[in-house]
Parts: sequence; C-alpha cells; structure tokens
Amino acid sequence: MAAWQKWWPGLAVFTVVVAGVLAGGARADEAPADIKIGHLHAGSGPYASISMPVYDSLKLWVEQQNANGGAFVKAYGKKIPLKLISYDDQSNPGTAATLTNQLITQDKVDLLVCDSGSVLTAVSVPIAREHKMFLFDPTGTGAAFFSKDNPYIALLADPVSTVWPRYLWEFLKSDAARLGAKRVALLYSTNDFTGTQANSIRAALKEPGSPVEIVFDQGVPTSTSNYSVLIDNIAATNPDMVLELGYVGNDIAFLRNLQESGQKFKGVFTLYPGIETNVLLKNVGASGLAGVFSYVTALGLTLKPEIGMTVEELRAAFEKAYGEGGVEFGWNAIAGHVTGLVIGETLAHADSLSQPDLRRAVFGLSGKLKTLVGTFELRDDGAQIGELTPIGQFDAAGKIAVVYPPEFATAKPVIGAP
Amino acid sequence: MRDFLSVGLPVVAIFALLPLVYANQLLLFNFVLFLILAQGLNAIYGFTGYLPFGYVGFFGAGAYGFALAVMHLAAPPALALLLAGLAALVLAMILTPLLRLSGAYFAIANLAAAQAVYQVIANPALQDITKGPYGVSLASVFAPRASYGAALLILAGVLALVAWLRHGRFGLALQAGRDDPVSAAMAGIPVVSSRIIAWLISALIAGLAGGVFAWHISVFYPETAFDLSTSIFAIVFTLFGGAATLSGPIAGVILLYGLYNLIGISVPQYFQLIYGALIVGLVLFLPRGLASLLQRRGVDVP
Repeated sequence: MAAWQKWWPGLAVFTVVVAGVLAGGARADEAPADIKIGHLHAGSGPYASISMPVYDSLKLWVEQQNANGGAFVKAYGKKIPLKLISYDDQSNPGTAATLTNQLITQDKVDLLVCDSGSVLTAVSVPIAREHKMFLFDPTGTGAAFFSKDNPYIALLADPVSTVWPRYLWEFLKSDAARLGAKRVALLYSTNDFTGTQANSIRAALKEPGSPVEIVFDQGVPTSTSNYSVLIDNIAATNPDMVLELGYVGNDIAFLRNLQESGQKFKGVFTLYPGIETNVLLKNVGASGLAGVFSYVTALGLTLKPEIGMTVEELRAAFEKAYGEGGVEFGWNAIAGHVTGLVIGETLAHADSLSQPDLRRAVFGLSGKLKTLVGTFELRDDGAQIGELTPIGQFDAAGKIAVVYPPEFATAKPVIGAP
Repeated sequence: MRDFLSVGLPVVAIFALLPLVYANQLLLFNFVLFLILAQGLNAIYGFTGYLPFGYVGFFGAGAYGFALAVMHLAAPPALALLLAGLAALVLAMILTPLLRLSGAYFAIANLAAAQAVYQVIANPALQDITKGPYGVSLASVFAPRASYGAALLILAGVLALVAWLRHGRFGLALQAGRDDPVSAAMAGIPVVSSRIIAWLISALIAGLAGGVFAWHISVFYPETAFDLSTSIFAIVFTLFGGAATLSGPIAGVILLYGLYNLIGISVPQYFQLIYGALIVGLVLFLPRGLASLLQRRGVDVP
C-alpha cells in the first residue's frame, strides 16, 4: 500500500501524458480545415491559350463547391472546403518543375494537378512519381507519360494521343475514300500532342489494303506561323485531302494562309476548329471554316451528363464568371470542369487522402463516370480511352455537324465542299 | 586557393546541408546549376571579355550528350556525365573560329550557332537518334539525390578552377589579353591560344551542367535544354555580381535567382515588370556589378 502511495503521483502524470498523446493522435484524424489542391497554370507564353481556360474552369468548379460548403470527403464523412493553390509557370518547363516540387514539398497539397499540354506535363510526371504523389493530368496526352510501371498518373479530360485520331483514320479509309479522297497530305506540328497523332494516322493509312495514299508527309516546328510556302508545296503533290495538325495558333495561321493562297483542296481537316470553336471563328471567320473537317468535342455533341453541368450550363456559368473579353470558352474550359468533377468524385469515394487510396478511387471511377465529355475510362497505365472524338464538318454558318462515325452522324460528309 | 577556401568551400557546404532543412530539392538544384553556369560564363567573359549569348548551346549539347549516352550506349550516369562534357567540348572546338569575331558580332554569331544546334537536335528527321522534338525520357537513371551530389561536386571543381584563374599564371595572362591584347602579345603571352583554352574550359563547364541537369530532371524537350533564358540568366547573374571575381557571380545567383523565385511564386502577375525594372536599373546604375561597389573603396573582392 505504501509503495502504491509512493508511485501514484508518477502514475497519474504518466496517465495524463498518455491520454494527451492519444488525444493528439485523435486530433490528427480530425478533418482538416480544407483540402489543398495544388495546380500549375501558364499565365503567359505559348501554352497560355490552352492552360488558362483549364485553370479558370477548375477555379470556377472549386468556387461552386465551396459555395455549397465544400466537397464531400468520404474519409471524414462530411463536406470540407477546397483550397486551390495554383502557381503561374509562365509556360516555362523549368519553372513548372520547380513549382511542382514547391506544391509537394512546401505547400504539402493533398491533390496534385499538373499544367496543360504535354511539354509542361512532362516535367511534373517524374517529380510526382519520385514523391509517390498521384498526378491528376488534365490534358497532357503524350503517350510516353503512361507506362505500367508508373502508377502515379491518370489522364482526365483528353483521350491519349494514340487513341484520339481513331475516328479520323477510320473516316479517311472508309467514307472519305469512297467519296474520292484517296490522296492525303499530312502536315503536322512537331510536338508530343500532334506528332503522336500524326504517327498513329500514318501507321493506320499505311496498313496493307488501305485505299488511301499519303502523298505529302512533313512535320514543322510548332512555332510555325506562315504556311504559304508549305501550302504551295502541298498543292504541288496534288492531294485530295489535306490534314493539318497543330495547336490553335498553327491552325489559325494555316487556315488564313489557305484562304489567302487561293489554293483549293477537296477536303481539309484541321484539329482545333472543333476544339476551340469560338477562337477559330473569331480569327478565321465562318467562311474560312466552311467545309473544313475537325474533331467534334462535347461542344458539338449533346451528351447528357450524369454528373456536373451540361455544356450550355457550363458555358453560361463560365461566361458569367469571366465575362466578355476574358478567356474564351472552349474545349479546354470543359477539360478544367471535368478535372474538377473527377477530383470531386475521387474525394467522395477515397477511403483516405493517402495517395494509394486516391489512385484506387480514381481508377474505381473508370467506366462509371459519365460527364459532359462522355464516359471517363482509364487504361491500366492511366491513359484516358473513354471519351469520344467523332469527325465533324463545318457549314457556311460556322456550325459543325457530326459526319462520322455513322452511329453519331447528323449529316453526310461532303468532299469538294467550298 | 585562399579564395576557394574562404568563399567557394562554404558555398558548397551550405548547399550540401540545405536539403536537410529545406525539402524543395529541385529549387536548390537550380541554384547549384546556375552557380555552375554563372562561373562557367565568368571563365570566358570575366577573363577574356568575350560574352557568349548562345552559352546555352553548350548546356544543351551537354544535356543531349548525357541523354544519347544513356539511351544508345546504356552508359552509367557517371560516364554519361563525362560524355556530356565531351559533347560540349567538341561543339566548342567546332565553333572556335567564332573567336575571330569580337563584341556584339561574337555574341550574335554565338547565339545563332546555339540556335542551329537546337534546330539540328529538334529535327524530326533525327527522331531515331535524338527523339527529335518529342523530348527524351531517362527514367532508367532518374536519381535526384545522386545527381544533386554530382552537381555539388561539379560546383566545387568549377569554383576551385575560377579561384585558380583569378590568381594563377594562366588566369593573369588571360586578363592581360582581355585588357590590352596587343601589349600582352608583345610581352610574350600567347593571347589566341589562351583564349581558346578559356573558351573550351567554359564550354566544358556548361556541358557538365547540361549533363547533370539531364540526369536530375530526366524528362525534357529540346526547347527546355536550349531555352535562351538559361543564357540570359547566367549572363545577368554574372554581370550583377561582378565578373572576373569568384564571389560576384555567387552573389548574383543567390540574390537574383532568390528574388526570381520569391517574386515568381508569390506575385507572378508582377514578375516580369519587377524583374525587368530591376535589371534595367542595375545595368544603368551598377554596370560593373555589386563587386564594383567594394572595389571602388579599395576592397579586394575575392
């Protein structure tokens, strides 16, 4: 008894300390004040035109979530406000690399979203992998990012570059060839995005038995802004169909130069008119787009989402938030919204905020999530394969109608259109 | 050696210890990289007066030398680093005739040469060799800690070299040739061959920096390796601190690159305005760099 009396003050202190530590541990499991989403955007430089719409739209989604009390986080069983930390990498890959590290090591973000486009995404991929941080990749479609030995990436809003042009080469080998377009010229900007697409198209058109012949095949620097000589060179090979694959600036320059040159081809395909339609209409005009083939994105489809807004609802909200004269609403703004939706669903399904659980939650959405761009579906390596990119053709009023594949077609393709 | 022990070694030691207290190792790596490049530029500009605007050409050659060695020879990183230096050295030997030019003509010709190398590397026709414009991925050798350590070793070597140039016979000969080439030649100094050696040393340093950059970042595109802003930064940091000193370029990198990151991260919307105004102000009011403030007062700046 005496011994107990001697030791009980010490035992009491020990008990209090242990209780304090346990209470501290319990506090660590309490919900955080906010969920930090780390993101990079290019506020200036060559990638600003594709990056800023993604950023603005993601920011809008975060604001909408916070206006409703935050996003539902399954790990804590309640809504928690979101905090978007987005740095401007000024389109500089070196700065993007440093800032990716900053988000991981200094800001200690819960979720990491890289910048748009393959060049800026490329630097974030190894850094995220090194830190075992799952990378939410909105639009970096370079095929090299996705490999089975890297579980730390998923492409959210664009199909991977090798899958994207599938309908294009099918169209060229079927309907277009049947309508007389058998000689194809392939002109592309030499970057990961369009270069990979060109490789896929070339391989498909050169398959045995292909009714299509490639008569011109040339890559040009992405910085190309004058296509006059190239158009004359293409015309000299007498193609029926010209495919020009570039970024927004390339497509604008090509279509303007084509109008000015007076050269006529039976069919012209360019990449961005169906993706950033407003920008192309403003810079090239409806007459410059008349008859042009392009990819049809959610902008030209009437897909009914099971989650999130429709295209028109998003357009209205985007234009209300950023007004006239701001960043144009287009495909990349939709990509930003889809990024937000995937993040929201990930938080709603992940058992914890650990990176493996976040990954499991993202891959668990594959094939089940239907947004305004179609079905979210991931390959094992994280590449996006579920979204649709049918082929469309512009009319004289600047409207695009789906012409391929037949199950989505709302109009017939016209080869030899003005 | 005194300069190296009093200035160079502490800088290396600080950057060796900083990762223990600051986790953004890539930022620290960039500091080390620019410390190497600024001293490499110092070796040619500070000691001969030749300002190579296309200095990034050697850096890019080093980065691609490393990448090609890893991709095609399966070289281990240490050997690939040596080959990176060798690639820059070979390029410098090819470009040696540029030293016949001087002043702005040399700067512009050098810039054009760097662009020409970039266009060759990024040419889609060379995709099988260089991966063309589609960039390289060196995931098999990605090792941020080891490459950071290698960068520190290169930095230590470069600082020791510049410290030797400042007081050694060869460095003094270079400075004599820079200040008055005719008198120096009449005094028996081989001005041309000394200049060529300084040019090769400077290219070798940039090549090693490019190689260790390729190793550290592991995924990059030609426009990243040949980014003109790399040259501009190295020049600005060297000029700001004071060329032909060991501590000037170090001060330039620490202050200006520190400020660059501070502004770039906290108020990016004002970045270009603030940084541009700062550089214009420095060029107008402090053209010989910070070191000149002390040198005017008779202080021997290491």
